[in-house]
Amino acid sequence: MLPIVSITLFLPLLGAALLMAPKDASPRTAHAAGIITSGLTLTGAVWMWARGVADAGFSQVEEFAWIPSIGVAYRVGVDGISLPLVLMTAILFFVAFVFSARIGERARSYVALALLLETASIGTFVALDAILFYVFFEVSLVSMYFMIAGWGYEGRQRAALMFFLYTLLGSLPLLLAILGLYLGSDPNTFDMRELVADPPLSGLAATLALIAMLVTFFVKIPVFPLHTWLPAAHVEAPTAGSVILAGVMLKFGTYGLIRFALQMTPDAFEQLAVAVLAFGVFSALYGAFAALAQTDLKRLVAYTSVNHMGYVVVGVAVAAAATGAEVRALALDGAVLQMVSHGVVTGALFLLVGMIQDRAHTREMDEFGGLLKVAPALGWSFVLAAFASLGLPGLAHFPAEFQIFLGTLRVYPVAVVVVLGIAVTAGLYLKAIQSAFLGEVPERWREMKDLNARELLSAAPLLALTVLIGVAPFLALDVIHRTTQALLP
Amino acid sequence: MSMGGGGMAAELALLAPEIAVLLTAVGALVFEMLRLPKVSLPFTVIGLLVAAALTVPLLGTETAVFGGTFRVDPLSQWAKLALLPTTALVTVLARTEVRDTDREGTVYSLLSFTALGALALAGAGDVMFLMLGVLLSSLGSFALVAYPRDDRATEAAMKFFVFGSVTGAVMTFGLTYWFGATGSTLLGEMERLEGAPLAAAFGLVAVVVGLGYKASLVPFHFWAPDAYDGAPVSVAAFLSVVPKVGAIFAIAQVVRDLPADTGWPPVVAALAALSMTYGNLAALVQENVVRLLAYSSIAQSGYFLLGVVAVGKSDLALPALVVFAAAYAAMNLGAFAIVALAGRTLGEFTGLGRGNPAAGAAMVVFLISLVGIPPLGGFVGKFLLFGAAMDAGLIWLAVVAILNSVLSLGVYLRIIVPMYRRPKGAAAPATLIGAVWTMALVATVGVGLAAQVLLGRLP
Repeated sequence: MLPIVSITLFLPLLGAALLMAPKDASPRTAHAAGIITSGLTLTGAVWMWARGVADAGFSQVEEFAWIPSIGVAYRVGVDGISLPLVLMTAILFFVAFVFSARIGERARSYVALALLLETASIGTFVALDAILFYVFFEVSLVSMYFMIAGWGYEGRQRAALMFFLYTLLGSLPLLLAILGLYLGSDPNTFDMRELVADPPLSGLAATLALIAMLVTFFVKIPVFPLHTWLPAAHVEAPTAGSVILAGVMLKFGTYGLIRFALQMTPDAFEQLAVAVLAFGVFSALYGAFAALAQTDLKRLVAYTSVNHMGYVVVGVAVAAAATGAEVRALALDGAVLQMVSHGVVTGALFLLVGMIQDRAHTREMDEFGGLLKVAPALGWSFVLAAFASLGLPGLAHFPAEFQIFLGTLRVYPVAVVVVLGIAVTAGLYLKAIQSAFLGEVPERWREMKDLNARELLSAAPLLALTVLIGVAPFLALDVIHRTTQALLP
Repeated sequence: MSMGGGGMAAELALLAPEIAVLLTAVGALVFEMLRLPKVSLPFTVIGLLVAAALTVPLLGTETAVFGGTFRVDPLSQWAKLALLPTTALVTVLARTEVRDTDREGTVYSLLSFTALGALALAGAGDVMFLMLGVLLSSLGSFALVAYPRDDRATEAAMKFFVFGSVTGAVMTFGLTYWFGATGSTLLGEMERLEGAPLAAAFGLVAVVVGLGYKASLVPFHFWAPDAYDGAPVSVAAFLSVVPKVGAIFAIAQVVRDLPADTGWPPVVAALAALSMTYGNLAALVQENVVRLLAYSSIAQSGYFLLGVVAVGKSDLALPALVVFAAAYAAMNLGAFAIVALAGRTLGEFTGLGRGNPAAGAAMVVFLISLVGIPPLGGFVGKFLLFGAAMDAGLIWLAVVAILNSVLSLGVYLRIIVPMYRRPKGAAAPATLIGAVWTMALVATVGVGLAAQVLLGRLP
C-alpha cells in the first residue's frame, strides 16, 4: 500500500529542499512552489481522510527502524483525534501560502521555512514514537522563531526571543517525562502505541511525569499563567505566522494533553483532574476578560485563543475525571472538535485582521468605522468569523462548546461557570464590530479597497468550513468519536 | 579486567591506531625539518585518518594491554574514532592560519602529539597513564597556544602553563595516596580503596583537579577563555574538543572502578551542575565569540559529566558519552570553523547569514545542536545523557541540565540574531574553511539522524 502518511508528511520538506537547491529563485517562483507543494500536501491529507480510521487503536501505520538500540523508530499513523487535526493543518498551511504570496522580501527563505514548519506540524500529529514527536515538536519551534524574527513587525526580535526561550523552557520537561516513560516501560520503548496501551508509570513517578507534561502543554496551549508569550508573539508575527501559530501550533499543546497526559498517565490525570479543570476554567475566563480589554484587533483575537483553548482543557479534564465511557466520549468529542473549529475560525480571523492591517497599517479598532460600507466582503467575512468565534449556533464553535459544557455539567456542574466566557466574548466581538465595521466611515478610509482575488481565495475556504462544521459537525465527529468512545480502558 | 592475551606482538596490534598517530606526529616533524611543510599537512591528515581507520576492526574488542595499564575498550576506541578525524580537520583549519609561517609543520606535529595524549587519557587503565596523558597533551597544548609569538598568545600560554603545572603537581601528589593505600597503580585495583576513606578522598581530589583542569570543569576552568582567545582559532577549536574529551573519558575510566562510598558520585554531580551553570551564565555576557564559545565549552563539559556520573548505574551511560562526544566534536569544531571564517567578535557576525547564506545556515545548525534541539547530533547526545542521569536516580541533575539548555539558547542566540541583520560586507570565500565546516555539518546532522551507526556497535 502507498505510504501516504509519510508522503504527506515529507512533501513539504521535499518542496523546501528543491526550492533551496538552485542558486536563486524569484519571489514568484518561490510562492508558486509553496502553493503547489502545500496543495499537494493537502491532497495527501484528503487522501488520508478518505482512508479513514479503524474503531480502535491507530490506523495507516507506517514504521521502520531508526535507532533500534534504544527502541526509537520512525512510526507514524493516525487515529480519530489526529486525523482531523492533520487535515486542518494542511488546509491552514495552504491558505497561509496563498495569503503570503505578496511577500517580496527574501521570499525563498520564507517559503522554505514555512514548508519546514508544515512538515514539523503534520509530523507532530502523526508521530507514534515519543522521540519522533519531540523532534517535530521542537523543529516547529525553530522554524517559527525564524519566521517571527525574520518577517515580523517592529518588536519582532524581542518577541521571537521570548517565544523561543519560553517554549523551549516549556518543552524540555516533556523530554524528561518521555525519558521517565521510557525507563519505566518494559521492555524499554518509545513506541507511543505501547505506552498508550499499557501506561508504564504509577504512583509518584506517574504524577511527576504528568506534572512535567502539564508544564509543557500548558505553555503551548497556552493556559494562564503560562500564556504571556502568546500576545507578544502574535502581535509581532507576520499574518501567516499568526495563522499557523494559533491555528496549528496551539493544538500541539491540547493534542499532547490528550495523547500523552491523558493516555499515558491516566490514573495520575484522574487524580489531578480537578486541578487541571480549575486551570482550564480560569484560563478560559481570563482569556475572555483580557480580550475584552484590548483595542488592538490582533491582540483581541490572540486573547480569545486563550479563552477557546481553555474550553479544550476543560473538556479533557472532564474526560479524565468521568467514570462513564459515554460522558468521557462526549467531552473528548467536544474537545477535539473545538481544536478543529478554533483552527479554522481563528485562522480566518487572523487572516482578516492581517488584511485590514495591510490596508491601514494599524489595528486599533477605534481608528476605524463603517468598514462594512467601504469593504463589504472584508467586513462581512469578519462578522461571520467573529460570530463563529463567539459560539453562535450553526457555526463551527457551537457544536464543540456545547458538547464540552454538556460533559462538564454531568461531571463537575460547578465548572459550568465557564459558560460566562461565552457571554464575555459575545460582548467583546459586538463591541469590535460596532466600533470598526459599523457607524460613520472616517475620511481616511473612504478609499479602502475591498478583498482582492488572493485574499478572497485564502479566506473563503476557512469561512466555508466554519459554516460546514457548524451545520454538519457529524462529518468530523464520526471520525473523532470512533477513537474517543474507546480511548481509555 | 583481563590481562591482555597473547604476546607483545598481539598487544602491539591492538595499539596499531596509537602507533599510527605517533608515526604521524614524528613524520610531520621530519618533513618540517626537511623544509617541506607542503608535504607535512597531507601526511598528517592521511596519517590521522589511517589511524582512525585502523580502529574500526578493533571495535567490539574489550581488553587491556601492558598488564592492564591501557584499555582497549569502547571508550578508548570511540575516542579515536571521534578525535582523530577531528584532529585531521583541525590541521586543515590550522593551515589557513599558519600557512607560510616559519615553523608550520611543527603545528601539525604538535596537534598529533597532543591528540595522542588525549587518547592515552581516554584509555587509561592505570594512574601512570593518567599522568602520561595529562603531560603529553598539556606540553603540546602550551606550545600550540604560544605559536603566534605575540603578546596575547604568550600571556595566554603562560597562564595556561602555570595553571597546568600546579594542577599536574597536585594530581601527582594526590595519586601517591592511592598507590600507598592499595599498593597498586592499576585503576582496576582501586576497589581496594574501600577500607581507606581518607586516602581515597585525597586521591579523588587529585584526579578531579588534574583531569578537571584538562576538561576545563568549574572551578578549574580559569585558563580556558584566555588560552582560547590568545591562541589561533584552530588551536582553540582543538583544545575545546580533543584534550577535553580525552579527559572526560579518563574520568569515566577512573570512576568505573572506584567504589561509590569514596563519595565520587556527588562530587561529579556537583561539578556537572557547577560547570553547566557557570559556563552558560558567563557565556551570556561575552562580546568575543571565542570567549563565548570557551565558556560554552565549559558548560558542555558539565553535560558530559551527566554520563560520567551514571557510569556503572545505567546502561545508557556509555552510549551517552560516546554519542555526545561524537556530536560535540562535530558541532564545536564547526562553530569554531565559522569563527575562523567570520571573525572573533560578535560585531563581525553581523549579516553573515545574508552575505554568506550557506555558512550562516551551518552556524545556526551548529549552535542549535549545541543547545540540543532535534534532530541534530547534540540532541541525541544530550537526550541520552539526561536519560542516563535519570536512570541513575539523579533527576535533579537532569532538571539542572534542562534549565541550562534553555539558558544556553540565550547564549547562542546572541550569535544567531546579528547574523540576520543587514550585512556590512560580503564575507571572503575560503575554500579550506568551507571544507572543514561542511564536514562538521555532515557529522553534526549525521550523528543525529544516524545515531544507530554508533549505538549499534556498542556493547
